[in-house]
Amino acid sequence: VGVLDDVSVVELSIAIAAPSCGRALAFHGADVVKLESRTNPDVARLFGSAWATDVEREVFMDTSPYVPEMSANKRSLGLELKGAEGRSAALALLANTEVFVTNYSTPAVRALGLGYEDVAAVNPSIVYVALPGFGSDAAQPYYEFLAWGPNQAPLVGLDALTGYPDQEPAGIASIAPPDYFAGLHAFAAVLTGLEHRDRTGEGSFIDIAQFETTVSSLGPFLLDHALSDRTADRSGNRLEWLAPQGCYPCIGDDRWVAITVGDDDQWSALAGMIGGAASDSRFGSLAERVARHDELDELIGAWTSIRTATEAAHQLQDAGVPAYEVHDIVGVLHDEQVRDRRWFQLVGSLRFPDGDVFSGHPIHLSETPGRWWQAGPSMGQDTVEVLTKRAGLSVDEVDALLASGVAFTEAGPDQTLRRPYIDYAEILGVHRTEA
Amino acid sequence: MSGPWSGVRVVEQTGLTGAYATRMWAALGADVVVVEPPGGHLLRHLPPFAPGHEGPDASLWWAFFAQGKRSVVAEPGSDEHARLVASADVVIGDVDPTRDTPRPAHDRQVVVAVSPFGLSGPRKGWKGSDLVAWASAGLAFTIGFPDRAPVAPATPVQFAAHVTSLFALNGAMLGLRGVRRTGRGQVVDLSMQECCLSLAPETGVPIFLDDRVARPRPGNRRRVTRPWGLYPCADGHVSFLVLQPAHWKAMATWIADITGVESVLDEAFNDMHVRWEVSDFIDELTEQVTRPRTKLELFREGQGRGIPITPVNSVADLRADPHLESAGFWRDDEHPVLGTLPSPGALFRVNHDWWQWASAPRLGEHTEAELARA
Repeated sequence: VGVLDDVSVVELSIAIAAPSCGRALAFHGADVVKLESRTNPDVARLFGSAWATDVEREVFMDTSPYVPEMSANKRSLGLELKGAEGRSAALALLANTEVFVTNYSTPAVRALGLGYEDVAAVNPSIVYVALPGFGSDAAQPYYEFLAWGPNQAPLVGLDALTGYPDQEPAGIASIAPPDYFAGLHAFAAVLTGLEHRDRTGEGSFIDIAQFETTVSSLGPFLLDHALSDRTADRSGNRLEWLAPQGCYPCIGDDRWVAITVGDDDQWSALAGMIGGAASDSRFGSLAERVARHDELDELIGAWTSIRTATEAAHQLQDAGVPAYEVHDIVGVLHDEQVRDRRWFQLVGSLRFPDGDVFSGHPIHLSETPGRWWQAGPSMGQDTVEVLTKRAGLSVDEVDALLASGVAFTEAGPDQTLRRPYIDYAEILGVHRTEA
Repeated sequence: MSGPWSGVRVVEQTGLTGAYATRMWAALGADVVVVEPPGGHLLRHLPPFAPGHEGPDASLWWAFFAQGKRSVVAEPGSDEHARLVASADVVIGDVDPTRDTPRPAHDRQVVVAVSPFGLSGPRKGWKGSDLVAWASAGLAFTIGFPDRAPVAPATPVQFAAHVTSLFALNGAMLGLRGVRRTGRGQVVDLSMQECCLSLAPETGVPIFLDDRVARPRPGNRRRVTRPWGLYPCADGHVSFLVLQPAHWKAMATWIADITGVESVLDEAFNDMHVRWEVSDFIDELTEQVTRPRTKLELFREGQGRGIPITPVNSVADLRADPHLESAGFWRDDEHPVLGTLPSPGALFRVNHDWWQWASAPRLGEHTEAELARA
C-alpha cells in the first residue's frame, strides 16, 4: 500500500524535472497518467536503445532506458493536444484529477489551452504545479528563454563552483542536478497543495521557476557577497571548514578513494595510519591542515597509491574516517551496499515482459513502503482505459478519437522484446520484483 | 493567514542534511524546532561569517538555513530532550545506524532517519560526507578534467546534503499523510548514497547496461556533439546545449553572421554526429562568437535567436541577475543582530498567502517557551 493510492495525477512533461516528480508520486501509490504525443514525443523516448536497430519507430521509442528511469509505474495516455478534440479530452480528464504537473514552457502550455485558468475553469480544486525554467510570469525578462538539462547547472551557479580554482570551471557536464532539485520542490509542492486542499477544500496554482530553486541552495554565499562583496570560488574538493578532503589515487587506471577528515579525532586516526611525517604536530589544528593541504595531499596520496580503492576505503572506515571508492559505473553496479539494499529493480512491462532494469526510490517508509509494479508504459498503452474510466468518455467517443488519430494506443501490442543483458541482471545484483 | 502546514510540530536534529528543506517547511507554516547542543549547532560554526560579528549568530549558514526555525538547547539523553522529542509530530534527524534504532516516540509520530548509507546493509555503519556521497553514487567520477582527480559538484555548496534534505521533507510529508490515513506513524529510512543515486540516471547503470559506453569525466564539454558545454567569453564562460537541428541552424547562422564563414551553413553539419567529428572546427568558430562578448550579451542575443545558451553565473552574477531582481526572488531578512540580509525568499509562487518568514533564532532563544509546551 502506498500513502498516495487515493491520489490521481496527470503529467504533461518532458525530460527530467516533472517526470521525476511524477515517478516519485507513482512509487508511493498515486495513479499518474502521462500525456504523450507522437507528433511531439518526450525526448526521453527519442533516445531509444542502441541495440534496437530493426524495430519500427513507435516501438523504438518504448525501448529507451529513460522510459523506466523517468516513468516507471505511470500510465500512458496517447493524445494529440494540438486541436479542439484533444484539448477537450484532456480537460475531461483533468476535471476528474487531483494533481496536474507540467514542465512544458508556459507559452507552450498556454498555447495548448491548458494554462492554470483553463484547467481551474473545469476543476477549481485541482493542485496545478508548473515548473518552467523561468516561471509563468510573461512580464519577466527570460520568460521565453530555453534552459533545461545540463544548461541549468551553469545558470544557477553550480558550474562556476565546480572544479579546481587554477583551471576553467569543470562544470557538471554529465548529469543535471538542478532538474532533479526542481522536481523535488515540485514533489513537496504537490504534497503541500494536497494538504491545503484537505484542510480548506481549495485548489492551488503553484509556479516553480527552476532557476530559482537551485539558486536558493547558495544562500550562505549570496549573503556573503551582499555583506562582504566576496564571490565564492570553486575549490576542487576542499573546504575551508574541514581538512583534508579529496580524491586520492589508488592502484589501477583512474582509480581513486574519496576521503573526508571531518574533525581532529578523524585526523588523528588517519595520521596514525599513515605515520611518518603525517604524525607531525604541524598538522594538528584545522587551520594548519587547511594551510598545508598540498603537503597533506602528497602524504595521503603516497599511502593510498599502494592500495586498491576498496582496501583503502575499508581501512579508513575501520579507523572511523569517512571514505569511499570513487565508483565508476561498474563500481556502482557491484557496490555491496547498493546490492544489499536492492537499489536496482527488475520489473516487467508490456514491451519487456521478462523485465526491465531501473533505479529505485530513496524514501523508504516502514509501514506504507510503496512499490514498483511496472517498468514504464508503452506510448498510449492505457489510452482506452484512462479515457473511459478516468475521463468518463463513452466508448463511442473514444473510438472516434482513435479513428481520427487524435488519440492512439500502443504500437505493435503483440511485439515483445528482451534486453540483451536481461539473463544476467540478477547475477549483476539487480533485484527482481514480481509485478 | 497561517501556512498550509501550521500546527505540525517538527523537531530537527540534523547537521547539514535537513537544513535546506526544513527552512522551506518552516516558511510554509510548520513549527520547526532545532535542537542544539550548548555549544551551538554545526551550522553556527561554519564560515562565511558576517563581517564584524563573531559568536553563535555570525555564521551565514545559520543565518540562512535556520530562517523561521526555533532554537532549543537540550543535551541528548536529558529529560528535556526526551520531552521535546515526544511532543513532536515529526522528528528529522541524523542517525548512526550501528548505534541508534530509530522508532517513533508515540503512535502517531513520523521519524525521518537520515544516514550516509541507510539503516541496513553491510556498510550501514560507514561514515559519510558530501564528497563521500557523490563518490559512492558514481557521480564524482564523471565530473572534472581527465588529467586531474575527480571532483564533487560545487563542493562549497554541499549540494548532496540539500538534495537529501528535500527527500527527507517529502518523506516526512508522506509519513504525515500516512498518519492521517492509517492512524499510525512510521520510520523513514533515508540514505544519502541513494539520494545521490536518484540524480544519476544519465550516468547510471540501466543506461550503461544498454549502450555499454563508459562515461569518463569529459572536462567541461560533453563528448556527444558540439557546441555542447562551456565556452570562454569576455567576462567568464557561457554554456551551450545545441543538440536539435533547429537549434544548430540558428547557431550556424549566428556563427556565419559574425565570422563570415559561410561553409558552416552546409547541411552536413545539421547531423550532430558530423559536428562531433569536426569538434575543433565547430569549437573554434563558436569561440570566435563568444570571446569578444559578455555572458549577458551572449545569453540575450543567443536566446533571442532561439539557441539554448546560458551564462555560467558566479555568485556575484546571480546577485545582479535581472530575472531574480524583477521576479521578487529576494527578500530582506531583518536580522536582530546582523542587520538587513538580502536573502533568497519564497521557493515558488502560489495563489495563496502561504509564505511566512522569520530570522534565524539566537542560541536557545526558544528553550523556555518550547519546553513549557513539550
